[in-house]
Amino acid sequence: MNFLTRIRSSIGWDKGVGALLVLTIVIGSLVTPDFATTSNLGFVVQDIGEIMIIALPMTFLIIAGEIDLSVASALSLVSSSIGYSFAHGVPFGWALVIGILVGLATGALNGFLVNYLGLQSLAVTIGTMGLFRGLCFVLLGSNPVNQLPDFWTGLGINNIPGTFLPWSFLLIAPLVIIALILLHFTRIGRWTFAAGISSEAANFAGIPVKRFKFFMYVATGFMVSLAAIVYTLRFASASPDSAMGYELTTIAAVLFGGVSIAGGFGTMWGVIFSVIELGAIRSVLQLVNFSSNALQIVSGSLLLFSVAVPKVAEMLKARRETRVKTPTPSLTSSRSVE
Amino acid sequence: MRNLLRIRELPIAVVLVAFFSIAALGNHQLFSFSGLHDLLFGSSIICLLVSAETLIIVMKHIDLSIGSTIGFASYIIGKNASNGHGLLYCLLLGIIFGLAVGAVNGLLVAYFKLPSLVVTLGTLYLVRGLFNQVAGGDFINSDKVPHVLSFMASHTFAKIPYLFIVAFVLALIVGFYMRNFRSGRDLYAIGSNLPAAYLAGIKVEKRTFWAFTAAGGIAGLGGALLIARFGQAQANSGLGIELGVVAACVVGGVAIAGGIGTVFGAIIGALLLQTIVLALGALGVSQFWQGVVNGALLIAAISLDKVLSSRSQRTQIMRVSE
Repeated sequence: MNFLTRIRSSIGWDKGVGALLVLTIVIGSLVTPDFATTSNLGFVVQDIGEIMIIALPMTFLIIAGEIDLSVASALSLVSSSIGYSFAHGVPFGWALVIGILVGLATGALNGFLVNYLGLQSLAVTIGTMGLFRGLCFVLLGSNPVNQLPDFWTGLGINNIPGTFLPWSFLLIAPLVIIALILLHFTRIGRWTFAAGISSEAANFAGIPVKRFKFFMYVATGFMVSLAAIVYTLRFASASPDSAMGYELTTIAAVLFGGVSIAGGFGTMWGVIFSVIELGAIRSVLQLVNFSSNALQIVSGSLLLFSVAVPKVAEMLKARRETRVKTPTPSLTSSRSVE
Repeated sequence: MRNLLRIRELPIAVVLVAFFSIAALGNHQLFSFSGLHDLLFGSSIICLLVSAETLIIVMKHIDLSIGSTIGFASYIIGKNASNGHGLLYCLLLGIIFGLAVGAVNGLLVAYFKLPSLVVTLGTLYLVRGLFNQVAGGDFINSDKVPHVLSFMASHTFAKIPYLFIVAFVLALIVGFYMRNFRSGRDLYAIGSNLPAAYLAGIKVEKRTFWAFTAAGGIAGLGGALLIARFGQAQANSGLGIELGVVAACVVGGVAIAGGIGTVFGAIIGALLLQTIVLALGALGVSQFWQGVVNGALLIAAISLDKVLSSRSQRTQIMRVSE
């Protein structure tokens, strides 16, 4: 554990995840010859596409000290509204626009409840999670819409001609780069960290915290609708039970990427590595014929692992320091729990 | 304190009665013994689980893993019963399984000081994944459910379904414990002011650990009710039930901010949610609206709670300034 502590303090968790990714790739290519192929790389990109798109705004939210558990239901709602409008005669292109509007509305609702009514984001988004999922079933009943136009579903399934990458790569890569720049090189990113460290102090420093977080939720809604479009085209179907459990996978990926659940700490690099790592592990497991349930187990373990290890390292460090210095009363450790 | 509690649960009870009456006016079938039976029978699982969730939420924690736990426990009970083991043995296995999951949650939350949301999300995932792995496409059907359980599901005592009686008795025990025992009161102290609870010498870690473990055990016991109620167990049993449980607690006045609320309030909340579902059905609204109503009601309850608590805070401040 000493070793882990040192890793965390010297090179940082996010780079550790990067190293783990390299390790996974090496092991994966040793275990199965099918892993390190271009076609499998294309498959992994397609496999983690939606998670990556949602993980980007989720990183901002968690760093700012909030959370959104409704993303998967919102994704499903966007997908359902696309399917619903298309089934009711709206041209598919316009159905996508309607989907994006619905996505923005879901984000705005969450943002309004959290920021302007001042409710806890955890509780609110558990509520909207149920609300959005319920609306999916109200829209579509239990019948998925399957007959989507070939041109569009081709975009979801086929690769860019002459390459091994799916079309969604053209959407995801710029989004990743934009998110990276926004978080680490602009004022928006600094505001995000400030809001996460102390919302009150940020407010006094002149940051319009409420409005800022509101727009963060709206942006989340927008990104969710993009993810929903990718998802709908990839499966060539809009069904009310889409993306079940994606919120957990996304949050697991963000936390495993080194973002602190308490807010104020984390890097976009770590999250990007972590999502790819998730895809790589899943791919290796699938190629060696592990069951599909493995992903649930892996995600759950990663989630627990990623919160437990830093905490244990921190506790050990604190214990070592108290042994060296004057003993601190146990109250200090209890305060940090809040 | 006593007055406060009474005030807190009275409005929701009034809403429940009013709603039930209005719905019954629209559809006379509801206002009968069979309507009452449907209400109690349909809400018995949630009524059992709110006892577990209330223990956790008053400590300002949350347990999302109970849905996976109750599902897996119901499968364990069903599987062992169909292998010819006795009911008591199966029940014990289910409860032990629940206690184990709860103990893992409790260990990580209480002693590792990890956020309960993340921990229980993780165990929700883990347990469901293991459950899928173990159960696969296996399906425990109704003729393999232990006879006592299927009898309890189909019979009533004084017009009250046995399943609800089990849930209610458990709620009585948990409610009495939380109200009258010192360690029960400690849970409220932990939820309302953690540093103060430490300063007051409360064994925060121990209480938190055992509360999570107990909640897991209750969910394990709930597995028996789940398999009795639906007469089957499969890999998606209990999926997503935690949302309804948290909604029932919050609607029933258990504040998500910790320190406030009782099991009885939560049960009234569960009954209210079930009444709305039944009323919607009776008034011919599609079953698909159920999720929407649950979600909307949860949000409404949190908002109302926020408004009420900020109002009472304001009066407190005024009183101080006078």
